[in-house]
Amino acid sequence: MPQLWTEKYRPKKVAEVVGNKDSVKAFLEWMKSWEMGKPAKKAALLYGPAGVGKTSLVLAYGREYGYDVVEVNASDWRNEEKMKAVVGESSQYASLDGYSKKIILVDEVDGIAGREDAGGISALRRIINETRVPIVMVANNPWDQKLAPIREQSLMVEFKRLSKTAIIKRLKEICEREGIKVSDDVLSRLAERSEGDLRSAIMDLQAVAAGKNTLTEKDLEVLGERNRVKQVFEALRYIFYAKSIRGARAAIEGLELEPQTIYTWILDNAPTQITEPDELAQAFDLLARADIYFARIEKLQMWRLMKYAIPVMTGGVAVARRTPPKGFQKFTFPHKIRLFQQYKNEREIRQSIAWKIASRLHLSSYKAGKEMLPYIGFIISHADKSKLRIAEYFEFTDEEVEYLKKIYGGVEEKKEEVKEVKAKKPVKRSRGKS
Amino acid sequence: MSLETITTLPWVEKYRPKTLNDVVNQEEVITSLMNILKTKAVPHMLFAGPPGVGKTATAHAFARDLYGPNYMEDGWFVEINASDERGIQTIRDKVKMFARQIPMGGEISFKILLLDESDQLTDDAQHAFRRVMEQYSSTCRFILAANYSNRIIEPIQSRCAVFRFRPLLKKDIIGRIKWIAEQEKLEVDDAALETIYEFSEGDMRRAINTLQAAASISRKIDEKIVYYILGYVSRGEIRKILELAMSGNFTQARDELRKLIYVQGLAGSDIVSAIYRELFYLDIGEEDKLELIDLLGEVDYRIVEGGTEEVQLMAFLARLAAKSKKISVGR
Repeated sequence: MPQLWTEKYRPKKVAEVVGNKDSVKAFLEWMKSWEMGKPAKKAALLYGPAGVGKTSLVLAYGREYGYDVVEVNASDWRNEEKMKAVVGESSQYASLDGYSKKIILVDEVDGIAGREDAGGISALRRIINETRVPIVMVANNPWDQKLAPIREQSLMVEFKRLSKTAIIKRLKEICEREGIKVSDDVLSRLAERSEGDLRSAIMDLQAVAAGKNTLTEKDLEVLGERNRVKQVFEALRYIFYAKSIRGARAAIEGLELEPQTIYTWILDNAPTQITEPDELAQAFDLLARADIYFARIEKLQMWRLMKYAIPVMTGGVAVARRTPPKGFQKFTFPHKIRLFQQYKNEREIRQSIAWKIASRLHLSSYKAGKEMLPYIGFIISHADKSKLRIAEYFEFTDEEVEYLKKIYGGVEEKKEEVKEVKAKKPVKRSRGKS
Repeated sequence: MSLETITTLPWVEKYRPKTLNDVVNQEEVITSLMNILKTKAVPHMLFAGPPGVGKTATAHAFARDLYGPNYMEDGWFVEINASDERGIQTIRDKVKMFARQIPMGGEISFKILLLDESDQLTDDAQHAFRRVMEQYSSTCRFILAANYSNRIIEPIQSRCAVFRFRPLLKKDIIGRIKWIAEQEKLEVDDAALETIYEFSEGDMRRAINTLQAAASISRKIDEKIVYYILGYVSRGEIRKILELAMSGNFTQARDELRKLIYVQGLAGSDIVSAIYRELFYLDIGEEDKLELIDLLGEVDYRIVEGGTEEVQLMAFLARLAAKSKKISVGR
């Protein structure tokens, strides 16, 4: 099962958390004071740069000591009402019998500092006052003035960038577990470019090493400079917030990235940055136009069309975006890339099923996947099991049958995910089958 | 027996016509093929017609009638699906392998190769294939099946006897479904039959699949059950995407769209068709609907022109979302 290594190798125990020993100790002591029943502060604010283990520490602690970690993402709620519904309720159901202990984890708390969420901060403050369970907040920058009241209420725990040696050590462990031969030099270079951010180092490692037996200096060449990602975020900000088309166009000039690459970043950040439906529709009209330019450039090798594509895609989103987004909206890595990782396995299973159907029913695999697979999935999921021979007829593996049941069997499948630490966005539940 | 078979065999296979006499609703084609059988002078043939009307089944039935029940096992007949065989080279290799050896002991001196979905071949591949047809015509006859004969190049068409399979009529589909229901001891009411037909769009395969899926939950099949199944197997996913966009969850709609394209591997043109079907029933004003239909046509064209499927479809969803928002504000 392909999985992001950053998830796969997230620490399972507190002892596995890399570096920041003092911070870990401070957190442990604070949790101990909760266990004893009298914490000096009811909340803790873990802060510091990205990818150094703040969230991992809380998750590992929960796992090791039997706490349910209820995770709320700051971008999920924007006002007091919602905040109370999500956090307030959980905070009142502390169990005294130790049956289900809880920690509330508020991620990206600096993200709610925006003016739209003013109510959110004061609600959080009241909830901290009343809570019977530990509340842990995580932030990159806790020094926003709006967070002042919360700082007072919280134990402040600082996390620092990780040392190069600590990162190398962890990367080495991962390579051993994945059966990848690699020299210290190569790992050293990966650690170097991560600038103390273990998550990004692991990301890079997976990007260059997944599926390989050995990793060499040469393999690293495909990696762009890490701060290029930072540069892209920066550029995106300029593009979306540009006052003129000229300004938007200029934002991508220093990037040394293919316009098509930047395009995918713009495309996938547009829906979060542009929240007014009319404006988003306009932005997508223009992005779709730019896409057509790319197609023509490709087809006719007519490179001079690029000079139209670029202002249309950059100026397009800048001009379309008139209303500022509600609250803090950070720029993200393109969703499409994550999707490919996430669903690789599913795609392969589906293809294998389609081939099996195709070979028995005189169809192309495409038609088999489109016209037959859903019906067969439905029949397998709904027919009386004792008479279920259709799976044998096609020689589906157990994994394939399970997949079909999961997709065409009904609505139950999602429950497990929710239970597992990540309290998903409460609002956006998908609707029932129509 | 029938209890067992509900879940044992796909009915599209079980009720596939075995001989030319079993093929229904294509009288003209069948009469000609019967004549060919009598003389055993088999030309190259092009079977053209919409999906699910029996082209592949007829080719198999023809071969069985010609060579006997072991027509495949004995190596007389082979099928290649053009949409799965990328590149002319594999086709040529396969064809050569197949056509080179003449099976012994028969009174017929040639084999038959069925090239299904042959309109999926590129022009280049078709030109190469044409030469292959000539080269091996003494030992191998070809049946090409295609949805659109106009996508087959002239030189191939002119070397083939072209048989047009007509679209199935309502009575053909309903008649066949009723007959299968009888064999399987199902009770299907009229409204259910009507719905199965309407959704099938003349594709028998789809109609039979729907019936079998319905039978997997109940022996008594009414309209409600049919709709329930359709929600699962086809309309459900597209409708969900449209509804997500209309209710303001654009990113979720986008994510679902991407799953269709990249996980299920659906072609953009098929997604466009499915959206087109749903568009008429959406809860938006008629004027907006018209604008969206026009936009969808543009999306369709742009995808053919080389536009990226997901991007063009996202632009459509974003426009749909904007239209829906106006409606809800208006209320």
